[in-house]
Amino acid sequence: MSSLTSALPPAEGMGPRVARWGLYLILLLFAAYYLLPLVVMVSTSFKSLDEIRTGSLLSLPRDISTDAWTYAWTRACIGADCRGMAPYFMNSLVIVVPAVIISTLFGALNGYALTKWRFRGANVIFAMILFGSFLPSQVMLLPMAQTLGFLGLAGSAAGLILVHVVYGLAFTTLFFRNYYVSIPDDLVKAATIDGAGFFQIFTKIMLPLSLPIMVVTIIWQFTQIWNDFLFGASFAAGGAQPVTVALNNLVNTTTGVKQYNVDMAAAMIAGLPTLVVYALAGKYFIRGLTAGSVKG
Amino acid sequence: MATLTINNVRKQYGNVEILKGIDLSLTDGEFLVLLGPSGCGKSTLLNMIAGLETISAGEIRIDQRVINGVHPKDRDIAMVFQSYALYPNMTVARNIGFSLEMRGQSKADRDSAVQRVAKLLQIEHLLDRKPAQLSGGQRQRVAMGRALVRDPKVFLFDEPLSNLDAKLRVDMRTEIKKLHQRLGTTVVYVTHDQIEAMTLASRIAIMKEGIVQQFAPPQEVYERPANMYVASFIGSPTMNFIRGTLAAEGDRLGVGLRSDGGPARFLPLHEAPAQADRWLGQEVILGIRPEAITCYDPTVAAGNPALVQVGCPVNVLEPTGADTITYIQLCGQEVVARIKPSDRMVEGENADFMIDMARANLFDPKSEQRI
Repeated sequence: MSSLTSALPPAEGMGPRVARWGLYLILLLFAAYYLLPLVVMVSTSFKSLDEIRTGSLLSLPRDISTDAWTYAWTRACIGADCRGMAPYFMNSLVIVVPAVIISTLFGALNGYALTKWRFRGANVIFAMILFGSFLPSQVMLLPMAQTLGFLGLAGSAAGLILVHVVYGLAFTTLFFRNYYVSIPDDLVKAATIDGAGFFQIFTKIMLPLSLPIMVVTIIWQFTQIWNDFLFGASFAAGGAQPVTVALNNLVNTTTGVKQYNVDMAAAMIAGLPTLVVYALAGKYFIRGLTAGSVKG
Repeated sequence: MATLTINNVRKQYGNVEILKGIDLSLTDGEFLVLLGPSGCGKSTLLNMIAGLETISAGEIRIDQRVINGVHPKDRDIAMVFQSYALYPNMTVARNIGFSLEMRGQSKADRDSAVQRVAKLLQIEHLLDRKPAQLSGGQRQRVAMGRALVRDPKVFLFDEPLSNLDAKLRVDMRTEIKKLHQRLGTTVVYVTHDQIEAMTLASRIAIMKEGIVQQFAPPQEVYERPANMYVASFIGSPTMNFIRGTLAAEGDRLGVGLRSDGGPARFLPLHEAPAQADRWLGQEVILGIRPEAITCYDPTVAAGNPALVQVGCPVNVLEPTGADTITYIQLCGQEVVARIKPSDRMVEGENADFMIDMARANLFDPKSEQRI
């Protein structure tokens, strides 16, 4: 064809074309393999119990019914409490939103201080913070339980927020620190001479430049905290439990007939917010991960 | 408008001494250029004046006020960075007005100040743009506008032109000079470009390894360099260094050049150096700029006793258009002369030259200092 589209010589014979279609086929198989559980979940959640009993696992629902969704949301029994997933979903929101905001802001502040106000021992402190991101979360359970008890936050949403902020700081600091390293120091010097202080430079110059890495951090933290089960199960009592713990209790404590459609709907409810966040901010996520390699 | 006094200023990082006692003093409205190769400490000194680096010892005064411990924003200085350091998230107008914003000035005051500066720099049409939408020269102007808007006592420039292409650099250089003439503000300007230093400065401080080698007006630095380092750093092609001996011939003092088979030469000095007695018979280095060696012209030579005639073989000619750089052999040493293209020398043949000994410099070969 033309040199405009490609400098490479055109493919000859059938060989490369067959290879290409083979590649597509394999990719399709992989995609189907990954999507199948989701398809089963979604389709089962829209079936009635009768249909589940008589039909096959993979068949699509004959009559689409949202009964299971409303039941899971409003009436399903989580342990002895039969108010559905809704209150626990709200619990999760109440925990996730402040925890994400606080850990992201503090991560940005840490990254800013570690790169632009380099103090004696900054590298040692950064290495220690970095080490925190390699700690398995189980290691934190006992000391954190003691700390929460000491602070009087045991079993409360505020306690869980604190846990997630502390655990997340290692990651958010790492993200922001690596992003801010690529922002020229001269900006901070110029702003200092212009009369801006530590926090003014942070809010007026650094934060407005941080959108890409902020999106990455928010997605990361949102996913981590929303999907957390361990901390939620360990530190939240009864009514304060997050949606992941509630889902587990719903699925494990049903007596009598197993309501697969309700289980599936509840699982979808628990998983939807992270999917929504990815769908909305996914392209910024990719951009943010590659940011810093391009000069601004 | 202010005086700037730098008094025995030192800078140390651990055991490494970057600045080894700098003494400089500027009168009101002077344009000081700190000139030197990278790593000589000139940018460190500028940052110390700005307050971005601490001062290990000594003191810096602006208008007699010691500013060692004063915060940069209270020093009444403004700085233009090599990278321009424009805030990418703000418009040009907000970039220029940022320092006023930080000082709590009202929006109306800020706007009128920004307008005034934008008019001065002819960037009024750019005020609503972001820095990313500007060309290099435009960014440079905005960076200057940001410094100008505060009307500071001292302007600091950190290699402001080195990111521009050659033509723009020359234009902006002239513009900075005009601006300084108009505003009359005291300026400290860091560069490694000798042309920038020569054209802009009222005085140049040439630095090497944390020491000021010479602090003098450009023409003096050029004509009477304090040592061989300064002599070779300024001027292109560089000054000729000719090895010889200080000798007397009759009552005339001069430099004797050892002959390599050919006749020894005696180049009489126009003016006797200080402590001539001590140097008599000693080895010296004769420093002569290429333009002080020209094609021999009997009528010119007759009227000027400082001109000494020499006949030398011509090795290489390098025409540059305005002048022809000519490499000649003088008593076994290669010497560069700057002659007119109309003199039509021929490579490989002998020609007569005249050396203007009134423009000669003598250096001590050991200490490399001027005699």
